[in-house]
Amino acid sequence: MFRSTFLLLAALFTARGIAAEPLVINIKTIPAKMLYDVTDFTVKPGAEVKLVFENLDDMPHNWVLFEPGVDVVALANKNVEDPEAVKRDFLPLDKRVLAHSKAVPPKAREEILFKAPAKVGVYPFVCTFPGHAAIMQGKMRVSLAPPGLTGLKFALYLGSWQKLPDFAALKPHREGEVPDGLIQIKLDDYKNQFGIVYSGKLSAPKEGDYTFSLAGDDGVRLLIDGKRVVEHDGVHGSGEIKEGKIKLTAGEHEVRLEYFQGTGEAEIYVAWKGADFPNTALSKWVHPEAAVGGKKKKGNSRTGIPLAVGTEPVLYRNFIANAGGRPIGVGYPGGFNLAWSAAQMNLALVWRGEFIDAALHWIDRGGGEQPPLGEDQVRPVGDSSVPFAVLANPETEWPKTDKNQLAAGYDWKGYTLDAKRFPTFAYEWSGLKITDRFDTAGQAATGGTLLRTLQLVGTIPANAYFRVASGNIQPTDAGYTVEGALNVAVAGAKVVGRNLLVPAQAEIKITYSWPTKAEPVQ
Amino acid sequence: MKALTSTLLVLVTAAVVRAENPKESDYYKITTFDTPKETALEVSSIELLPGNKLALGTRRGEIWTVSGAEGDPAKVEYKLFASGQHEIMGLAWKDGSLYETCRYEVARLKDEDGDGRADTFATVTDKWGVSGDSHEYAFGTRFDKNGDLWVTLCLTGSFGSNIDFRGWALRVKPDGSLIPACSGIRSPGGMGFDAAGEVYYTDNQGPWHGACTLQHLTPGTFQGHPGGFKWYDKAPNMGPRPVEPKNKSRMVTERERVKELVPPVVYMVHGKIGNSSSFIVCDLSNGKFGPFQKQLFVADQSHSNISRVFVEEVNGIKQGVVFPFLKGLKSGPIGGRMNDSGQLFAGGSDRGWGASGGKPFSFERVDWTGKVPFEVHEMRAKPDGFEITFTEPVDPATASSPASYKARAFTYIYQGDYGSPEVDDVIPQITSAVVGADNKSVRLTFDKLTKGHIHELHLDGVKSAAGNPVLHPVAYYTLNEIPAK
Repeated sequence: MFRSTFLLLAALFTARGIAAEPLVINIKTIPAKMLYDVTDFTVKPGAEVKLVFENLDDMPHNWVLFEPGVDVVALANKNVEDPEAVKRDFLPLDKRVLAHSKAVPPKAREEILFKAPAKVGVYPFVCTFPGHAAIMQGKMRVSLAPPGLTGLKFALYLGSWQKLPDFAALKPHREGEVPDGLIQIKLDDYKNQFGIVYSGKLSAPKEGDYTFSLAGDDGVRLLIDGKRVVEHDGVHGSGEIKEGKIKLTAGEHEVRLEYFQGTGEAEIYVAWKGADFPNTALSKWVHPEAAVGGKKKKGNSRTGIPLAVGTEPVLYRNFIANAGGRPIGVGYPGGFNLAWSAAQMNLALVWRGEFIDAALHWIDRGGGEQPPLGEDQVRPVGDSSVPFAVLANPETEWPKTDKNQLAAGYDWKGYTLDAKRFPTFAYEWSGLKITDRFDTAGQAATGGTLLRTLQLVGTIPANAYFRVASGNIQPTDAGYTVEGALNVAVAGAKVVGRNLLVPAQAEIKITYSWPTKAEPVQ
Repeated sequence: MKALTSTLLVLVTAAVVRAENPKESDYYKITTFDTPKETALEVSSIELLPGNKLALGTRRGEIWTVSGAEGDPAKVEYKLFASGQHEIMGLAWKDGSLYETCRYEVARLKDEDGDGRADTFATVTDKWGVSGDSHEYAFGTRFDKNGDLWVTLCLTGSFGSNIDFRGWALRVKPDGSLIPACSGIRSPGGMGFDAAGEVYYTDNQGPWHGACTLQHLTPGTFQGHPGGFKWYDKAPNMGPRPVEPKNKSRMVTERERVKELVPPVVYMVHGKIGNSSSFIVCDLSNGKFGPFQKQLFVADQSHSNISRVFVEEVNGIKQGVVFPFLKGLKSGPIGGRMNDSGQLFAGGSDRGWGASGGKPFSFERVDWTGKVPFEVHEMRAKPDGFEITFTEPVDPATASSPASYKARAFTYIYQGDYGSPEVDDVIPQITSAVVGADNKSVRLTFDKLTKGHIHELHLDGVKSAAGNPVLHPVAYYTLNEIPAK
């Protein structure tokens, strides 16, 4: 292998001076996932490739490229059985290895130069460290496809939409260049309620018909030279790929892709194909349905295991986004959902509709916080915090908590399930034994209510308050609205600054419901 | 070493050709159960329940009770006992309740209304930290001889400890209080007891671990990875923080400097025994699982196998030997448990780390066929070599010939980098092999022993009196201490 690397390098150095700049491919490992971030890329036959391999994981990995058709998993597994393999840092001694990195330690990087094979095909790459190959793999396509997007820029907009807005009438929040010439979403820290307009140029190798594929979560629209080619507007998942055809003249064309994200998952997939080249992705994310041979890609999918709620509540204890520390997700029949924090002992998040997708936690190692599946998420008290506090006066600031720390003075005692399998959460605070449970009435989608009952047993300290809600609280006929997104009704409460407080008492009953939705403005 | 390897290759090839040679399945049979269609039964913990039932805890946070797993696999019945928990890496049955160790807590589960499903989930303790990193697993034991339940907490990743007591072993007392017991945990893969009720856990190759290990947990000790040292500030019962081990040193050297440091009982030699040690099961079946009573069976998630460990104590330190035992589990074993009839139940998942078994998850049973394999039974350190006993009488001619054996000794770098190659090779000469009067033991004399080294012994030339080769003719003895006599 050293010999062939040397030959490749020698060929490259000989060609230097006349050769174009090498094509730079950046591949990183995803921390704690045993995955590459890029699992599919395309190069032209014979192209000079500079692969920048950066290992962000906390264990060593490598990158080994093989000839087409090699069963890389079987090969890697067999390699590990060789007692000498450890001394080679698990690099297989196999003439079908075309290029490789060394073992790259955690937080290190390596650049390798190689010449892409002349033969068109799909070349697998893999990490050959023991046990990694099964999932840590990808494909390098050698294809005659023309170069991808050039001069790709983005404009990011903030807003909450149900359909693609008229971006021309809006002021961008931020603009910039998109790295790698690939359409991608993670350009900023915003996860919800934003829109992006991408613009760049695409060069058609010759005059003819071209087919563009598009999928998005949520709405997407693709325009070429100002003409709409394909779109999938509205709020939806990324499962469906839509196609559109357009006749292009040889040469450069203006590409504009409009996208918006509501809440939850966010993805864009766009690809094109022509008479001389196969379907080629223009986005960083490659849709699993678009993989070669139609074979589903195994990997870092975050959808696919939705937890369905039937006649009984479904519990889900895992890392749920915006739900405080140690959240317990509960999906109740009727489309009511909540996450209750067993670190802060409080209701952290409510939403309605579908419960949650477990794929992020049940595929691969299971790191990361998963947002709920449904809609109308509200955090009644904002950032997770404790339910009760003794305040010198009601204006005193509510105690802050770190979501990963167990709330001081509180002691989690677990929960019970009743005959309907509804949970009642139990904890202790200030010598009190406290239970917290939720019942439902009607359907969440059509004005139904979530009824919360807290019971306190023991001597209630003086000046103890329960905080019902926090944020922008407005009185209504029946109670209050929180952030205009959730109705709350509770006896004896009063608004103090941005808090809705009620004196701690033996029983506290609260009713939550969602305001009737206004029709989205067209 | 080259010569040794090629000799081995020749022998392995010869073994393949000789079809009449004994094989693992002649002695131990693996039964793979169908699992409930509605879930991925990624078994991560197994406990025995009254009435010959089992409880299976899973990575998806479910607990299934199983009836009939001791008999015809077609008649196995599953019932969902609990769901929605966060990765159940320990189950313990006591006084009508099932105790689970999950990511955040130890909880007592009970079916109060008798419908076969848990309705009480009472927290026993939740007083350790979880920062949200995927590695922060919590493994739990059953109750030990003092009525305590032990928990080992993986570090935040491989190197550091972001929140309370990541990288520690803790004891949960019967009153629910949580007592820090040992620092130095890296990434546990399983926990268990030996026949005397001593507590062990397996740790995984990575920083400060040249290979996976089987380790002995006793209160006050440092188990090798200093990443969680800062929590000594919150553990006054543990005394002062130990001195930091020196990087790129050797375990045997650092033991001299760091008095709390306990060496691994056995290194589960990387790539040979396995890559990802998991459950620990002690054979307490009084012979129903074959001739290896009171020995430990340690699984490997990545290699989908089970190895066998014999432990002895020398100069107050546990040490011992690991032998290959059984290959061919269908997924990556994580949870294991043996019943009183000597049936070993194993279950697991390949998710996130891969397993050679090939299936994404499995629940299986290992039964002894009643035939005794010709194996090394026990291997004990002696001042000038080892004493090995066999499960069957030996052929005195081959067993007494030093040429029937080959030895090598090596160790790992004790370092903060990930893993280690095998280093400091020593090739001891076997100067004599004396067969005991019982014809089932051999006393081997080495020209040298190296303290702290793993002594690798190959017995390819040894035959039983019946003419069989040793079923697994290799042993890896971790020589923490050399006995004086």
